[in-house]
Amino acid sequence: MARFLLACLLAIYFIPSNAAQDDPWLVLQKAAQAARELSYKGVFVYQAGGNVKAVQITHMNFGQGEYARMVVLDGSPREVLRQGNDVVIFNPKNEKVVIEKRTGQNMFPALLPSNLENIKLSYQVRTLGTERVAGRDGQIVLLEPKDKYRYAYKFWADKEYGLLLKAMSTNERNEVMEQITFSQLNLMETHDMDWFHPQVDHAKPYVMEQEATPVSAGDAMSLAQQSLAMDQLPLGYKNIDKVVRMVPGKQFPVMQLVYSDGLASVSLFIEPLAKGVPAKMGHSVMGPTNFFATVIDGHQVIAVGEVPEATVTQFAGAVSFKK
Amino acid sequence: MKDKISALMDDEIELDGYEYLLSAAKSEGELNECWSTYHLIGDVMRGSPVLSIELKAKLMARLDDEPTVLAPQLKKVFYKKPALMSVAASVAAVMFVGWMVLHQQVGAGVNQPSVEIAQNIPSEYLLAHQSAAPGNAAYFIQPASFTESEK
Repeated sequence: MARFLLACLLAIYFIPSNAAQDDPWLVLQKAAQAARELSYKGVFVYQAGGNVKAVQITHMNFGQGEYARMVVLDGSPREVLRQGNDVVIFNPKNEKVVIEKRTGQNMFPALLPSNLENIKLSYQVRTLGTERVAGRDGQIVLLEPKDKYRYAYKFWADKEYGLLLKAMSTNERNEVMEQITFSQLNLMETHDMDWFHPQVDHAKPYVMEQEATPVSAGDAMSLAQQSLAMDQLPLGYKNIDKVVRMVPGKQFPVMQLVYSDGLASVSLFIEPLAKGVPAKMGHSVMGPTNFFATVIDGHQVIAVGEVPEATVTQFAGAVSFKK
Repeated sequence: MKDKISALMDDEIELDGYEYLLSAAKSEGELNECWSTYHLIGDVMRGSPVLSIELKAKLMARLDDEPTVLAPQLKKVFYKKPALMSVAASVAAVMFVGWMVLHQQVGAGVNQPSVEIAQNIPSEYLLAHQSAAPGNAAYFIQPASFTESEK
């Protein structure tokens, strides 16, 4: 009986719907849903700027909420435990393991947000046939930016389950910026949860990281925040976070504003320019990430994002301070 | 306190995987502190402004709210297990963190990430961006401050 019910439940995902095959937005919607609602286990490979790392993922959701564990298989054994929106990262650094808390990260294969409305504003979509990934047939969906302020994204969605098998971002010259692809993927049938715990290194101390604090009224940055004005931001980017960080070796706290268009994101760092410290100026690039630094009214402004150079330049230049 | 934990994780839950946590906590005589640390972390992770001491009551209430399926025994087990597993797993996961903090954080300084220069822009900016940006795949896989030589 239980098996029969399970089969019925899974059938909702398994039956290939013609509508979903026709409408690329529905394919993406299904991919966003499947990544959160299915139970699966596999290995995916992340590539960016010459770095290649394999990651093992176990994701379970039998209606009791999301549980996931991800372990980086190459190099330092970082791992992530996720329960619903709460993410705990175990990050070995030197002789310690740092425990970091995060919320609401869209991690592969749940790369797409549940709500695609914001993405629809900035990208146009089309399907590009099918391709085999990790032994499965993937429906290819291309998201092309409507302007020069974001990369293009290509997704391979499993034709049967809907799950993302592969994701790739490319710049305006069609060079691959980041690529994540499953090399092995299976649906899980067991309800066993004995995998949901970190691998403990008993020889190392575990410490909680220092967290960024939200902007408070009495803060040194509040003045800058009040007089801060933004204009000419690229369309579609919405401010999703605002924090103040103490950066090691810095006298003043640094304000960080985070913007996202649903897929691409940009951080804007603003800090008072300290005397005797040379200001950073100009553009630089590292793998998929572009940086642009400038000085506005005695403030160091740095824009950082996995976006084209034009975007970080635009963001940094958009800052002004009302007198 | 031990009784309460036992009551929470009733006999349908397998403790095998986590027994070492409990026994370690017990042997240190710090089970009480471990329990309250678990409350604290749970509250903080949920973003709740009040550090509730009634979490257990809420958990039990939620367990009570789980639908009871009036059907043959086989079906009941099939439905009920994930719900209980969910509680067991969440307790185990946060307890683990709580236990680690309790044991290790005393006197431990704040960890400062090592610096790697990326063409004039300190890696702290990239790291801060990676950690705050939604959907940033690189963050835990290939963080900016990461170098293999750190090991």
